[in-house]
This record gives sequence, C-alpha cells and structure tokens, in this order.
Amino acid sequence: MRKKTLPLAAALLTSAVLALSACGGGSGDESSKPVDVQADAHSGRRALTVLDPPFTKPDLVLTDTHGEKYDLRERTKGRPTLLYFGYTHCPDICPLTMSNIAVAKKQLPKAVQEKLRVVFVTTDPERDTPAALGSWLRQQDPEFIGLTGKFATIQHAARQLGISIDPPKKEKDGTVVSTHGTEVVAFSPKSDGGYLLYHEDATVDDYTKDLPKIVQGQRP
Amino acid sequence: MAAPTAAAGARARVVALALAAVVGCGALAGCGGGSGADGTDGTGGRSGGQAAADTAARPHLRISGAFLPVPVTTGLAAGFCVVRNTGGADTLTSVTSDIADRVTLHRTRNGRMEMQDSFPVPAHGALDFSRGGNHLMFEQLTHKPKVGDTVTVRLHFRRSGTLTVKVPVRPATYNPGAGGAFGTPPDGAGSARTP
Repeated sequence: MRKKTLPLAAALLTSAVLALSACGGGSGDESSKPVDVQADAHSGRRALTVLDPPFTKPDLVLTDTHGEKYDLRERTKGRPTLLYFGYTHCPDICPLTMSNIAVAKKQLPKAVQEKLRVVFVTTDPERDTPAALGSWLRQQDPEFIGLTGKFATIQHAARQLGISIDPPKKEKDGTVVSTHGTEVVAFSPKSDGGYLLYHEDATVDDYTKDLPKIVQGQRP
Repeated sequence: MAAPTAAAGARARVVALALAAVVGCGALAGCGGGSGADGTDGTGGRSGGQAAADTAARPHLRISGAFLPVPVTTGLAAGFCVVRNTGGADTLTSVTSDIADRVTLHRTRNGRMEMQDSFPVPAHGALDFSRGGNHLMFEQLTHKPKVGDTVTVRLHFRRSGTLTVKVPVRPATYNPGAGGAFGTPPDGAGSARTP
C-alpha cells in the first residue's frame, strides 16, 4: 500500500544529505561522518524517517495569525513541536496533513496537548495573510500556530530541513499555483532537534500512535 | 474468472437499462469487470496491430472508490476515484458537479499541482485519482458538505460520454491508499460504469 514511499524516502535521504552538507553542520569529527538517515527498519514503516543526527531547528522569525512577531526557536524551546510547510489554497495534502495531526492530538491527555506546538508555515505568503491563515487553521485546531512572512525567509528555513519549496507561480489562466512540503518535521522537547520526518502518506493512525512518544522526545 | 465476469456483464446491462449508467451503492461492488474478449490483461507488451485495435475498440469504463474528503472551507475541495478501463482508449475531458461552480483536473508533482486540460484513460488500464497524486479540484462550493453526505459528480469522457457518480463525503483524514483504520475499502458507494 505504501509503494510510493520508497522513491520518496530515497529522494528525502538525498535531500537531507544535501541540506546537511550544504550547511556544513556539525563540528570536527562529526562533519566527516556520513549522515545516518534511516527508515524505521524495526517496524517496517516507511511513513517515518528517523534522523540521526537531527536537524537543527531553523532560526525563523515570522508573523503569526494575530499579526504578532513569532520567533520559532524562542517560542517552541523545550516543547514537542511539529512543523509543516504548506498553503491554504491546497485541496489535498495540506488539509489532510493538518487534519491527521489535529485528530491525533485530540487523543492525547489535555495537559499533554497543551505542551505540543503544531506550526504551519505558509509557502504562499501573498495569499496566506495572518487573517486568512488564522481562519483556515481554526477549522483544524484553534491551537495550531500559523506563520507567514517573506517567501525567501520561508524557503531558506525549509531548505535547512531538506524541504524544497518553489515560489507560487501564476498560470496562463490567472490561477496561482503553490508548492507544499511533503514532510512534517517533529522536534524533540529534550534536544529541540528535528529527529523525525513524516512523509506525506503518514496516516492519522501513524500520528495517533506516535504522538505520545513524540511529546516525551522518544523514538516511536 | 470467466463465469463471474459474464454474470457481471449481464447484470451491468440490466442495471444500465434501469438506471442509465447511474449506479448506486454496492450494485457492482467487487465486480471483476471486463467482458470476454476485452478482458485481456493490459500489462504485457503489445504489438502495433494490437495498439490500433485498442484505439478502435469501445472503451468499457468503471469508476470506483470515489470519495470527497470533507473540506476545510467552502473555497476548495478535492475529489478522488479510480477509472478502470477494460476496453479501448478514452479521455476524461471535463468534470462537473452540483456542488461547485468549477471542477478542474490536476496532477501533483513534487508538491506542486499542475492543472490538466484532460486525462487519458489508457486501453486496458486505469486513470487513478488518489491522495498526493491526481485529483479533481472543486472550487467555490455552494455549501460545506458534511461527512455522510453525497455529492453528484459527472465525469465527461470523449468517447464514452458522461458517467454520473454519487460521491460520498468522507472524513478529512480519509486515505484509502495508505492503509490503516481509514484504509478499509469504501462500502460500494461512489461507483459507476459504462453500459
């Protein structure tokens, strides 16, 4: 059923390696080591890739749905955090991904839900104003955080996580076509590192099963 | 497969006469599709003569597994289904629906949607609309449908004409291609076929 994930995982592995080598990451001995990106061989699941070493959380400052400045590192420090790059004029994968997370989150104990940060960064900042983003995200979960800002800033942050997005493009008929990321990055509350990558075919069951572990910073 | 196929063919003709290609829940669920001569497997290599025969042969289309995930807003919804063809080649040229002003056809590549004017339905093959891949995009909905509602969608084919499908509205997380709790096959709703 998950045949699609094989090339996806391979592409991801490549992009993760490229992204890491491009930012030079790690110091001394670490930088010469190949990046250990491994699929979860234990359970045979391919909706998930475990990243070792993890991605550094991008230094990203944008505007939230209330029009306020939002510093990702500062505001999500020590919090289990799920980060996704998408846009609201997206009929399929963006709402699917956010719904999967919203449904899974509701199954956590209330106190644990409050610790979790779910951050949706728009890839279509021109159309996704703070207000537009806010009304869309509220339909999914009122606690979800929506961020918008300069496309170049957003693209740069995505690239640091091996996620490739292109600027929105105007078609001949006037419609605007944007790109969404195909992964959700989970950051550990213990290290603040991005240690898990969920691919776009991760289901609501995957998130429901894994969120209790993620909020503890454990490997699912 | 010969006996159930023939039976399915006969049943389909009766249903088609009665319902003029609009097939309700479950009538054809699990049908093996294809009738006798046309039921050859499309996966093998084909000679030029056979390819020409595919073009000349009448298409036999069957739509199944259609669903529409409950949309976030009335601005936009996506629709999915599989069009299987056990006959000659056809083309999906447009889609219309009571629920939307406009329905457009898209494929997705590397996270980017690309609008298509039409989609080929290969001879003895399938056209697949599924999560993360091709999708039908419904714009400016007349209202926000609820889970359990049914939306009428008409798929217009160059050779086969129009097939009408009653498309069930599913939860936003529904993803039958990915397995899991929501991965169980639909209950037979969202099907239609050519007579």
